[in-house]
Amino acid sequence: MQNPRNNRTGRRRIYIRRKVCRFCADKSLAIDYKDHRTLRHFITERGKILPRRITGTCAKHQRRLTTAIKQARIMALLPFTSGHILKD
Amino acid sequence: MKLRHYETFYLLHPDLSDEERTAISEKLQQIIISGHGEIVKIDPWPLQKLAYRVQKQPQGYYVLMEYGASAESISELTRRLRLDEGVMKFVTTKTNNEFDAEALAKARDESAPPAEIVEEALDSTQSTEKREEE
Repeated sequence: MQNPRNNRTGRRRIYIRRKVCRFCADKSLAIDYKDHRTLRHFITERGKILPRRITGTCAKHQRRLTTAIKQARIMALLPFTSGHILKD
Repeated sequence: MKLRHYETFYLLHPDLSDEERTAISEKLQQIIISGHGEIVKIDPWPLQKLAYRVQKQPQGYYVLMEYGASAESISELTRRLRLDEGVMKFVTTKTNNEFDAEALAKARDESAPPAEIVEEALDSTQSTEKREEE
């Protein structure tokens, strides 16, 4: 038998990968409402803004990200909802 | 009058011709200059697909204009953008409270390669030769 601590019947092991804020990790990466390709990582398929707990963004950058996404939506760079996304 | 660093990002109708688009751009630049402002950068984007239809159009031309201007010229600029039929959407944001044209020019020179190299880059073969020499 293997070490009982590692066997499957034991308590389920939860691996939590510490998520790091992308904007803190890479200081050169600026939050810009015109850069819709980067912003796309932070919205769902439906166009909703992803919460911090999923993306790992820090509070400071999440605030800026939210404003940037909203500005990008106003400028039609990002969708408000998937219902209006253009198909061709 | 105090200048602040602003940028205006606007979306133009896809049916506009090149001349009409430059005419709009020049008209806007004129507003800034007549208000004792200074243009930093004009960056027209190629025709782009939009995330949703705007005035029933699936695509449009974005233009980014960076400049230093006073608050008064901003209100005039906004008024003109609203009046213009070709402008479908626009947003003006303040990049910085201070506008220092010299510092901006300096920063640009450091980040971008010197003008000579940029010109040569148009001729791709020439630029690769030069890089090999170096």
